[in-house]
Amino acid sequence: MPALAEQLPRLRLVSDSLLELDYQLRPQAKWDNGQPVLAADIVFTLKLLYCPGLPNERARTEMGFIKDCRTDPADPRHLTLICQGQAPEYQWAASDFPVLPESALDSAHTLRAVSLPELRRGAAASPAVAAFVARYRQANVGRYPAHLPGCGPYRLADWQTNRVLRFERKSEWWADKLSAPPFVLQAHPRQLQFLIIPDATAAALALRRHELDVLPQVPAPLFKQLQQSETRQELAFYTTTSYNVVTVGFNTERPTLRDKYTRRALGQLLDPAALAQATQQVPGLRTASILPPTSPYYNDSLPLPAYNPGQAAALLRRAGWQRQADGHWYRAAQPTPLALDLRYRSDDAMLSTVGLQLQQAAAQLGIAVTLWPTEGTLLAQTLQAGNFDAYVKMTKGSPFVLNFSPLLHSQAIGAGNLTRFSNPASDRLLDAIGVEGRPARKRQLLRQFQRLLRDEAPLVPLFMLPNRLVADRRLRHITPSGLKPGYVAAAMTWAANTAAGR
Amino acid sequence: MLGWLLTRLVGVVLAAWLLASAVFLLGQLRPSFAEQQALARTDEPAAAFSSPGQVAASQQALRQRLVLDQPAFYVTRAAGPPVRWQWHGLHNQYHHWLRGVLRGQWGRSLRDDQPVLEKLAPALAYTLPLMSLALALSTALALGLGAYLASGPLATPGRVALRLVLTGLQALPLFVLALLLLLLLANPEMLDILPAADLGNYDADPSSGRWLAAYFIRLALPLLSLVLAALPELTLPLAAALRHELASPYAVAARAKGVPARRLVWHHALPNAVLPLLVTLTGLLPALVAGAVVVEVLFALPGMGRLLAEAAATQDYPVLIAGVLLTAGVRLLALVAADLLHYWLDPRLRATLA
Repeated sequence: MPALAEQLPRLRLVSDSLLELDYQLRPQAKWDNGQPVLAADIVFTLKLLYCPGLPNERARTEMGFIKDCRTDPADPRHLTLICQGQAPEYQWAASDFPVLPESALDSAHTLRAVSLPELRRGAAASPAVAAFVARYRQANVGRYPAHLPGCGPYRLADWQTNRVLRFERKSEWWADKLSAPPFVLQAHPRQLQFLIIPDATAAALALRRHELDVLPQVPAPLFKQLQQSETRQELAFYTTTSYNVVTVGFNTERPTLRDKYTRRALGQLLDPAALAQATQQVPGLRTASILPPTSPYYNDSLPLPAYNPGQAAALLRRAGWQRQADGHWYRAAQPTPLALDLRYRSDDAMLSTVGLQLQQAAAQLGIAVTLWPTEGTLLAQTLQAGNFDAYVKMTKGSPFVLNFSPLLHSQAIGAGNLTRFSNPASDRLLDAIGVEGRPARKRQLLRQFQRLLRDEAPLVPLFMLPNRLVADRRLRHITPSGLKPGYVAAAMTWAANTAAGR
Repeated sequence: MLGWLLTRLVGVVLAAWLLASAVFLLGQLRPSFAEQQALARTDEPAAAFSSPGQVAASQQALRQRLVLDQPAFYVTRAAGPPVRWQWHGLHNQYHHWLRGVLRGQWGRSLRDDQPVLEKLAPALAYTLPLMSLALALSTALALGLGAYLASGPLATPGRVALRLVLTGLQALPLFVLALLLLLLLANPEMLDILPAADLGNYDADPSSGRWLAAYFIRLALPLLSLVLAALPELTLPLAAALRHELASPYAVAARAKGVPARRLVWHHALPNAVLPLLVTLTGLLPALVAGAVVVEVLFALPGMGRLLAEAAATQDYPVLIAGVLLTAGVRLLALVAADLLHYWLDPRLRATLA
């Protein structure tokens, strides 16, 4: 959707809890069947999210903040989204959904009879809506995308589950007629083929044999191996920083981990420099907070966390722990010695390296760390339920959304706030960051928040994960990025910035 | 005989049903991956814009759509104390599933909402020719090599080398073997003769000879791995059985009558020595439909092994149960077929059954 609009929308605050976004769709935008892309299509798509019985739950959750949508009787290409809440990020987030053509899916305009707020309230049990859902399921557009005209530059030509996705460039596409199309509305390759090769070694061999042009998300050891291979002259190597950070989190509700000094002491037992070197084979990716040092909102006055067992022991004593003759740490009113259960995904060697390092460092100090490699789904459930002492995981970030409420707000306990961290000052800061639109003030608040996070240490950031990409050297003009591909606002903004920087 | 066969077939159906029911009910004990996938990102920045109420509502809608909101079985145990058993009647997930299966509706994948059979069919269409080819090739090779190993003194350099190679192959796990072949035959730094992965050749017409040639070239490495992996376990017992038969009095008598060595091996000893091979072969038959996960993952083949392994890893129970049923059915039928073949090949068994 954002690519269909002429520009990113302006924000307009309404009362104290609503925000309006105004979009003007490009007059050239057309579906493959020749129909123009209109505001009615966007309203139709938003309504689809609330039709019961369709696989729309995830999108519904993500787009749930769009309360209503207002069209303009005088201009079918003008529409206004009304959002609940006043987050400045809505400017990007509100339009990040693919638009479906009303003319092809609902030519009888069945859904026009029901308004978006009505559907949201669950007043969707009407027979008309049910009949529409049945028709939609019948068309099975998930399996047969040809039943669905699109408005992008490529047509899905071939698709085999677990194997291949092949897109062909449409010979005529509306954006070709734009006089100065923006970066994301340029589509040069005649064909795009996505191949699924589960084994990294096989994928690397296919790249070296020129059966592939681009290999994304290359694991660190393989990247190094490719750089040393005889075919390296034929390959181009790219490394970009991502916003994904490896963190160790502590369950702040556990009696042993409730005070910040114990958490900070345990954090001092982690060795981010050695871990980054061992798992990523590059030293320079360390960070002092959950933002990467390259971010303009990064608090650069915080020192990088470092391995310091002496200071860890001092912090433990400050937290009231005493090392007894048996070598373990005890505290008044706690009969058992300080020990830790550490959970992480069982299929990730990097996380287990972190676990082993912590286990070894803690053992030298007399703290027993038990490692619990856990299967992914079970781990997610265990962490959300709070049945753990500590975890190691990759925390995903985004350069565009700087709201850490889902991670650390007390209201997110039981959902995304796995550390169950609850602190009134932090909640206030997070609330303020969430609605702050002025960059300078936002920077100030985020710096404060990072300092607080460092002091309280509910989670300890270790290092940023790089994105590694290897491409065939024949392929020119590659601009690597860790962003998901697609016509989302984040990618467009990134593309515009990259284009401006070049 | 017919009665015996019928009893065995009823047993097969019962066993398959019990197995599938067990997988279904065990699946209910686990947190659902589908739910987490569909509602993921609670701890990502994008989750900042959805309220806990919205997440809960979406979760409920999802459970309703996937019929996960009903109880799992006719009776369930309410967590105690005191432990109580609760009767739910016909409105339960198991009943819903069983009714569908009896009507030939296998349900839809929890991952992509596609009908299960539509997912299984292409994977099966890929796996079946590959595995059949591998099985046929390795059986033919095993027969030839077994006859060669048995038909002369063991200590000749050729036989010693072959036995060493076969023993070595048997000691290699399939993934090591396949990886070695890959690094040896599809590597620009070694021999760069075969493609590393089946990336599909979508340009040629499927009926043309070029397409068939491309198909075999793409399948060369997976086939080679499968054949080499299955060869030792087929050849070595066959060779031993053949040697045993060739040392028996009837073989000595035949030799004394002047039967040529070739004919002695193939016509006299082999029918008697082939029984252990049959047992091994029936053990391999389920792989015809279950595929070979290791080979499929390494060479990026869209077969049954990968489909089922991924279904298991992502708790996509409708797909997994259909796969388990298929594999179990083939295994059970293979056992019946093995019994029938034994009965046919070994006259002594006919006496006991009659």
